[in-house]
Amino acid sequence: MPVFRFILQRVLQAVLVTLAVTLFVAFAVRLTGDPAVMMTAESSSVTAEDLVRIREALGLNQPFYAQYLDFLKDLVTFDLGNSFFRGSIANLIGIALPSTLLLAAASMGISILISIPLGIHAALHKGGISDQIIRVLSLVGLSFPNFWLGIMFVLLLSITFPILPASGFDTWPALILPATTIGIILTATNVRLVRTQMLETLSAQYVMVARAKGLSEWSVVYKHALRNAAIGIVTFLGLQFGNLIGGLVVVELVFNWPGMGTLSIEAIAQRDYPLLQATVSILAIMIVAVNLAVDLVYGLIDPRIRVA
Amino acid sequence: MRIRPNIMAKGALRFALLATCFALATPVFAQDTTLNVAQRQDPQNLDPIDTFRLSWGSIGSNIFEGLVFRGEDLVLQPGLATGWEFLDNETRIRFTLRQGVKFHDGEPFNAEAVKYTFDRLLGAEGEKGPQRSNYTSIREVVVVDEFTVDFLMESPDPVLITKLAGYGAMIVPPKYIKEVGEEAFDMKPVGTGPFSVVEYTPTVGVKLAKFDGYWNGEAQLDAVNIRFISEDATRMAELLSGGVDIALNIPTPSVETIKNDEDVDLVAVDGPTVVLTRFNTASGITADPRVRRAISMAVDRKTIVEAMLGGLASPISSAQGAKSFGNDPKLEAYPFDPEAAKALLAEAGVKPGTEITLDMPNNDETFREVSQVISAYLGQVGLNVSIRTHESSIYFNDIIEGGKTGDMFYYGWGGWTFDYDNTAYLLYHSGERYNPYVKDAKLDELLDAQRLTYDRDVREKALQEVARYAQEQALDLPLYNTSTIYGVNTRVKGFTPAPDDRARYMSVTVD
Repeated sequence: MPVFRFILQRVLQAVLVTLAVTLFVAFAVRLTGDPAVMMTAESSSVTAEDLVRIREALGLNQPFYAQYLDFLKDLVTFDLGNSFFRGSIANLIGIALPSTLLLAAASMGISILISIPLGIHAALHKGGISDQIIRVLSLVGLSFPNFWLGIMFVLLLSITFPILPASGFDTWPALILPATTIGIILTATNVRLVRTQMLETLSAQYVMVARAKGLSEWSVVYKHALRNAAIGIVTFLGLQFGNLIGGLVVVELVFNWPGMGTLSIEAIAQRDYPLLQATVSILAIMIVAVNLAVDLVYGLIDPRIRVA
Repeated sequence: MRIRPNIMAKGALRFALLATCFALATPVFAQDTTLNVAQRQDPQNLDPIDTFRLSWGSIGSNIFEGLVFRGEDLVLQPGLATGWEFLDNETRIRFTLRQGVKFHDGEPFNAEAVKYTFDRLLGAEGEKGPQRSNYTSIREVVVVDEFTVDFLMESPDPVLITKLAGYGAMIVPPKYIKEVGEEAFDMKPVGTGPFSVVEYTPTVGVKLAKFDGYWNGEAQLDAVNIRFISEDATRMAELLSGGVDIALNIPTPSVETIKNDEDVDLVAVDGPTVVLTRFNTASGITADPRVRRAISMAVDRKTIVEAMLGGLASPISSAQGAKSFGNDPKLEAYPFDPEAAKALLAEAGVKPGTEITLDMPNNDETFREVSQVISAYLGQVGLNVSIRTHESSIYFNDIIEGGKTGDMFYYGWGGWTFDYDNTAYLLYHSGERYNPYVKDAKLDELLDAQRLTYDRDVREKALQEVARYAQEQALDLPLYNTSTIYGVNTRVKGFTPAPDDRARYMSVTVD
């Protein structure tokens, strides 16, 4: 029963957070400007009546609560309604969401591939030269702005040595540069995380026991230590998802990746309320959902957390 | 630890799922002569009446045609109409339509299509978009016979013929729209132009294919692949690495790089956009015309154009470029004369060290630099300029529209009609949306009168008079007319730069 109550509590919390975010977004975006005005900003012959007509056509003459309820209804039914300027939002998200998730997964994959071996190596050679080098490199990696790194990659690998496409979405090689850019930025933190987690487990008693039993170093490190360190690492990677999405927004723009970040920024520029509400809410829901999943999994693994 | 393989399995499944989405979303095209183009913006909707964007023009002008055609030379020519005449005291304009023209879906072009196009524009569908307001001088389009239509005018509109080459007047197919519906038409429209739409993927690009049934010759290319790359650096990277053959919207800072690259040519042409600093003529020290004249004499426009803009702009003496109807080549700008400026300021009682403000939007990188230079020039005649930047939509729709500017404020405007009426009316006619300060009976009268006649000579005289009067009063400080700049790979032949951004790819070839 307590498990059930715990889950219910967390799910309710997540729903409340999501509602709060959608309400805030819907409210805030309406303070920033009038889409009818934006739409006609380049026209010299627009009259006040034209603006009123456009607002009516866009449903902007409705009171805020009605517009918000409409939006919630659309969100719950996964219909998402129509953008002010570009037709069905579901179609747009249908392109943007998978491409963002693909980029996120690829970046995370690259980061894991680099940071796990490097982190383990650093932990095993704590204080050694290689540990120091890895530490300095990860510090350097942390200090790079991700868009700068992206632009440098383009300069080097697309223009000076034209090996990879500078942008695009049509081919698999186009995925390499953006995924590597974010992957490297993520690696900077992940290496340190893997190192710390490994150091902790390596000093645990069961590792000493495993060593005392005369198990091979490989078996001690990978079968015993890494498996135990993995709980912490997986949890952290889950929590990092929010940062990852934030970083993606900028990198998507640099590499012209047609994802949720690009879509949100375009929606902001035009005050496309329905589209912006939809993209921000979906991103928020994803982050909340991942956090919830981490919470639940963690709680199930470690009963102490359920109490909190 | 049993969860680990489980998580991994889930991850793998999700990845596989995404990979499938990815593969499905991007069919690969392989054709012999494909032109690759990059432009900054996604028009977001290919329906001509739903947009004002230049990004539509460089796509839509290859898909659609109007009754009137205006090409790269800006001369108005017969398009889908072979001719027109003014009847009934200029209240009725009769158009003779071209025969044997077909839409991409095979539907014939005829009087019915013209009537449908304008009924749609002026009716409920048009009300949702921004184009309708340009065409409200038309009361109704009447079918006379299969290839003749009459436009019944609500009020005289001397710019109508130009506007009939504009976005909102692009002829659309009645049968197709009724069959597929408005939403499908936004995404995959059909016109009479030399290219048809194969696929439009929002935020990614548009793929066009040669239309074999085109009435006016044949496109040299099999396909055009237009990509939307909003980040300037990325668009330049694609151009320099050969990923695209033509890049539109070249930012000024990239001009040098392109000039130095052997494989890419820079092609520039005077565009519609003029940049000026306007004055608060209603209050503050700039309410005094002497101060405005002094400021106009303190700024060296030629140096700004040459040093800051790499020569890719032309100094102007009124708020229009040399190509604009109403431009008077004899009208000379105030000379650069800091001493005379100082004397005028002293006469107006403005003490050295007086503070003035210059407002500008935050998204014009070029003007950000220009504003620094203006500030330096004004410093030399004893005016301390503080520059305030604002988010661009707030700038235009609150600061300017609400009359909350400082003494000077930035204004950039591109009247796509290349008719001074468009800009002058907006800048100087009282009560206009972006004109918070100027209220002048003489200007109102001149501007209103020229809108009532189709006589080009009368109009031209009136518009030149407006420009001269605006300069006498120094209502603003006209700075320069920016060029429309294209980056073109040397592989590309036969590309003519369009001043109005309506790039056409029909006669382009790629080696």
